[in-house]
Amino acid sequence: MTEGSGGPEPGVGGGSEGARGWLRGWRPAVSMAARNLRRNRVRTMLAVLGVCIGVLAVAGLGIFGNVLALGADDAIGDIGTQVVVSPNADAGVESLSAADVAAIRRAVDDPAVGDPAVVPLYSDNAVVEGPSSQTFATVYGVEEPGLAFEAAEGRLPDRHRQGAIVGAGVAEDLGLGAGDTVGIAGSQVRVVAVLAESQTFSPVAPDDAVFLPESAFAADGYAQALVVAESGATARAAADAIREEVNAREERVDLFELAALVDEINDFFDLLSTFLLGLGAISLVVAGVSILNVMLMSTVERRQEIGVMRAVGVTRRDVLRVLLAEAGLIGAAGAAAGTLLTVLLVAGLVAATPAVDAALVLDPTNGYYLLLALGFGVGVGIVSGAYPAWKAANERPVEALRS
Amino acid sequence: MYSVELRGATKRYPGAGAEPVVALDDVDFAVEPGEFVAVVGPSGSGKSTLLNVLGLLDDPTDGWRLLDGTDVTELTVGERTAARKESIGFVFQDFHLLPTLTAVENVALPTAFDPGDASDRAADLLGRFGLGDRLDHEPSELSGGQKQRVAIARSLINEPAVLLADEPTGNLDTETGESILAEFERVKEEGVAVVAVTHDPLVEEYADRVVELTDGVLEGGIPGRDPPAEGPSDRDADAALRPGER
Ligand SMILES: Nc1ncnc2c1ncn2[C@@H]1O[C@H](COP(=O)(O)OP(=O)(O)OP(=O)(O)O)[C@@H](O)[C@H]1O
Ligand SMILES: [Mg+2]
Repeated sequence: MTEGSGGPEPGVGGGSEGARGWLRGWRPAVSMAARNLRRNRVRTMLAVLGVCIGVLAVAGLGIFGNVLALGADDAIGDIGTQVVVSPNADAGVESLSAADVAAIRRAVDDPAVGDPAVVPLYSDNAVVEGPSSQTFATVYGVEEPGLAFEAAEGRLPDRHRQGAIVGAGVAEDLGLGAGDTVGIAGSQVRVVAVLAESQTFSPVAPDDAVFLPESAFAADGYAQALVVAESGATARAAADAIREEVNAREERVDLFELAALVDEINDFFDLLSTFLLGLGAISLVVAGVSILNVMLMSTVERRQEIGVMRAVGVTRRDVLRVLLAEAGLIGAAGAAAGTLLTVLLVAGLVAATPAVDAALVLDPTNGYYLLLALGFGVGVGIVSGAYPAWKAANERPVEALRS
Repeated sequence: MYSVELRGATKRYPGAGAEPVVALDDVDFAVEPGEFVAVVGPSGSGKSTLLNVLGLLDDPTDGWRLLDGTDVTELTVGERTAARKESIGFVFQDFHLLPTLTAVENVALPTAFDPGDASDRAADLLGRFGLGDRLDHEPSELSGGQKQRVAIARSLINEPAVLLADEPTGNLDTETGESILAEFERVKEEGVAVVAVTHDPLVEEYADRVVELTDGVLEGGIPGRDPPAEGPSDRDADAALRPGER
């Protein structure tokens, strides 16, 4: 008995037909929304500015935190990739035997651990004499220095048979270069290579050491063994494997690994990033409130107009679309401007301060923060536009038209 | 069959006090296709309420409402919106054009969200009403009479069965008012039922029938039941359209 002469609302019938109509309906809505926004430019610009600042805050602080974390990671990076294995003096083990080294090699010889190199070291202390001065340094005996170190000058031999490899610090103190002669514990040795300054903290302290062939040592055991892994994760796995296998029956070795510390540092920087993002998000929330305010004001002002649209047969859904498009456009414009501003600001900062490493700033993970902020900006617009839009679209046209 | 019809329609507004306001009191009202009815009555007698109920903007508290013989007393919000779009044309007293839209876009507003482009039809209508050279003007660039004609063109964009006008000549000079009424004449010749609320004697002159509303009570609501003031209207569905007036 109550059958509408006009039939049901168009598009409600659903299916792919409805979905296409749904998309098509957005074009007029967006164009109408853009014109409504142009009516009160100042108000629109202020709302856009609010979102812009919010997005700038989220993207800027996000990238700032990320660059800090990346920088820290870069600086401490290799700490976590080395494990130093030394004899456990508490258990009466004075040095690592060839059998111990073999056991360590066996323990880490596993693809899951990443097959790290194991470099055993003899160790002693001696006076090292340069052409004009002398210093007290650690002297290591090593067979395959290339597995654990890098040369700045000269070449690291595959098998260290003769000559001395000098750490960067010792070379600088004594004014040594490759080809010079150095006096170690009285005997003269030719310098075959100078090591690059080590980027990491390591108990081996290669900068202040001199590396001789194993044959120079008459010791009957190694002082320590370096396990050089590819990453922090494989280093930790290697350490676990050594603990399990070499220390299975008896606590023969002590392990020194910084991977756990690195984890903690990373955790800290993650926390810092989240905290900074949270700070940015607060300003985005403020921007959302300003959009809410703008949309509420504008729907109240345009109450009659919206009533007219409804009266002449524009559906609630379409009115809702126009108003949501307005809020979404404010959000999108603010987000785009904020993102652009962030890019410019970061670029300016990199150009102005040489201390900032451009590679860190250009890291692709920073793009993620840009995208995140962009998405947040648009999202904030739509979320804060939703309530005023819903309210206005659902008002009865008779009431809206009565001025 | 009537284009639009009310049977025993009552509209009560819950008043501030204990007594509700009875804006329409058991109203019987019907308009034939192609008929021009003028509704007169003192202020507060319920004329706007009558138009709102006829135009599916508001529902009667009691009674029935029919549109082209179909009961449309109780519809969902969506059904009412669709029925308004399909069958009802509104001409509001103060035009109510959207200020951001051009004349053509205002006329096409009811179809703005539909697939397909109605601007050609809208431009045709505006041309008929002598506004062919004002298509892309915004309402702020139009005179009162021009705005009113744009509003009428908008009400006709979906070829409604019923045209409802609240004080269509209310704030226009006599000459512009007459040209508006000439538009109504032309519209009703196409079989559209026209209902105009008015205080203007000029409108009563053009109307086929004048009904009077006093305190919500309607006199002469059904054609033929009470002797109408004028003879039966001359209905010619094929009447050619006269060129628009400038
Ligand atoms: N929303 C409402 N709530 C309460 N009362 C209302 C409402 N709308 C109208 N009324 C009352 O209903 C009665 C009829 O109002 P209506 O607007 O239909 O009068 P009208 O004939 O159009 O008057 P006018 O010629 O001044 O426009 C009036 O007494 C009015 O106070
Ligand atoms: Mg009124």
